[in-house]
Amino acid sequence: MATIGWTHQRLEQLRQTRAWRSIFRRGPARTNRTRSLAVFGNLGLHVLPVKVREKSLSVRATYYLGSISFFLFVVLTVTGILLMFYYHPAVPDAYRDMKDLIYVVSNGVFLRNLHRLAAQAMVVAVFWHMFHVFYRSGYKPPHEFNWVIGIGLLMVTLFLSYTGYLLPWDQLAFWAITVGTNIISYVPVLGRPIRFLLLGGHIIGQNALLRFYVLHCVILPLAAVVLIAVHFWRIQKDGGLTVRDDHD
Amino acid sequence: MPGEPNPPGKPEAKNAVSRRDFLNEIAGGALAIAGIGAVVVTVKYASPNVLFEPPTTFRAGSPDDYPVNSVTYLQDQQVYIVRTDKGMWALSAVCTHLGCITQWKPESSQIACPCHGSKFARSGIVEAGPAPRPLRHFAVTLGEDGALVVDKLEVVKETEILKV
Amino acid sequence: MTEKRSYEVGLGSDALRQPRRIVFITRKTSAKVKGEVGAQLMSFPHVILRESIAFQVLTIALVVLALFWDAPLEQLANPLLTPNPAKAPWYFLGLQELLHYFPPVLAGVLLPTLVVLALVVIPYFDVNIEGAPLWAHRSRRRLQIYLGVLAVLFVLLAIYDAWTVLVPTVLVGALALIPYFSPTSNSRFQKLLGSRTLPWWVMTWFIAVALTLTAVGTFFRGPGWSWVWPWS
Repeated sequence: MATIGWTHQRLEQLRQTRAWRSIFRRGPARTNRTRSLAVFGNLGLHVLPVKVREKSLSVRATYYLGSISFFLFVVLTVTGILLMFYYHPAVPDAYRDMKDLIYVVSNGVFLRNLHRLAAQAMVVAVFWHMFHVFYRSGYKPPHEFNWVIGIGLLMVTLFLSYTGYLLPWDQLAFWAITVGTNIISYVPVLGRPIRFLLLGGHIIGQNALLRFYVLHCVILPLAAVVLIAVHFWRIQKDGGLTVRDDHD
Repeated sequence: MPGEPNPPGKPEAKNAVSRRDFLNEIAGGALAIAGIGAVVVTVKYASPNVLFEPPTTFRAGSPDDYPVNSVTYLQDQQVYIVRTDKGMWALSAVCTHLGCITQWKPESSQIACPCHGSKFARSGIVEAGPAPRPLRHFAVTLGEDGALVVDKLEVVKETEILKV
Repeated sequence: MTEKRSYEVGLGSDALRQPRRIVFITRKTSAKVKGEVGAQLMSFPHVILRESIAFQVLTIALVVLALFWDAPLEQLANPLLTPNPAKAPWYFLGLQELLHYFPPVLAGVLLPTLVVLALVVIPYFDVNIEGAPLWAHRSRRRLQIYLGVLAVLFVLLAIYDAWTVLVPTVLVGALALIPYFSPTSNSRFQKLLGSRTLPWWVMTWFIAVALTLTAVGTFFRGPGWSWVWPWS
């Protein structure tokens, strides 16, 4: 117990130093004013509102599905970046790198499992979130455009999952993507050109792997971040999360 | 978040910790342990267990392949095999100035670096130019079959010469 | 939504004089919209704390699962050898099942595009602000339209033999009809069904069809997309 008291005293001293107070300028958030500033004056947190309705915080109001979708995206980004250390997006190397990750690299199999699991969970969470927002009428005015942004995020999520599916370059990946890109070619007029652009050619080969890799690691995550930011911002500006009227 | 001061009326002991601060610091400690664990796992993950790089120990043929008083450049290993009447040694061809690959110039009996003009004797000693140190000597030994074995990870003093 | 209100809800067609979806304030009430006032809490600490707890619970669950559940890796991709069956990722398996019944242009392009468009357009339709249930006005006309749509769907699906879509459609369609024929029932389930709106029924139908298609595509389809029982 004495060590806890000692640690506490050292932490208190640390909090009094000039260095600490130059970073955390407003002091501890003990008054409503400093609590407001902690959210309002923070670069990351000011996308949240300063005050929220108590009803929207209960688990049954939203099941925290939107937050879970976002957290899964964060987990996917972190694990994805780490997986990029060992992955070469080239045709003979990709499959060998997957074996490398599973059998040779320390904790590689865990990281890969985590990435794939979070990916499946995110697709489920995003769909569930959409259905739940619908069932509690969260799309009604003035929230119409945020619903559309949400549909955009759903498309980005599905496309992210789809581009990632090709990267291991195994039979499962190759033929799943074959089926998908063949469906795209049935789009009238634009189908074949879109497929040609997506694959960087007529076949699923070297170019396709590299394009899917760039889509998966750069283009789509950037799109997702922008849409997520607008999505959160809209909720804040439109007065917070929607909660069912008859819910209590 | 540091908590409010103790409720009035209670004498404050020297090392008094409010319940809020205690719980917060325990939670912070637990998160710190989890964070350290995550960092350790990530660092171990990021350190490769298998390297796809060329081996650093190589065989250089038999000593008879090298005439006395010669300097032979092995291109794929970037090493000079030098043989004089005193014996044999292996020199790194990497210039000690900024890492360019040097060249043996038989007409001037010098190892010259094209980047900034450093010049080395065949013993590795700096004769001219901005190089700060002599060229490194690698350990040369004779294997069981009589072949030369050079280990680029073992740097030896220039006085160590393999007598053949 | 049943307490006495001091405003009326209406729609007009002249956008200048009568903007859509506006609230008409009757006399002797303030024009200020009060909105929903409930108890409010500071985001810091309440939201931040709850979100970080949610994040930690999620991380623990993911980590524990990831330690035991291995991601699959099959053989090296071979463009010359198609596995049988060749299945898309599970979230597209519903689509692949649909492709079994309908031509590719319909099932692969038209239907998914219509679905996405329908989703996008939901909030811009004539939204049922008051949340009136499907059979609130018990009009025979509504029943006629409803049964007509159901019959057309039935015929179309039967022509294409798409019974994986037919079965959930019939089930949900029948459920929606129950409150029409027994409006004064006292069972809680029937009261619940009776209060559902049209958009609710359409979405529920969509989810039922999507779930059925995905389940069949995942578990009940084997080589050559033939029907297999998953336990065999």
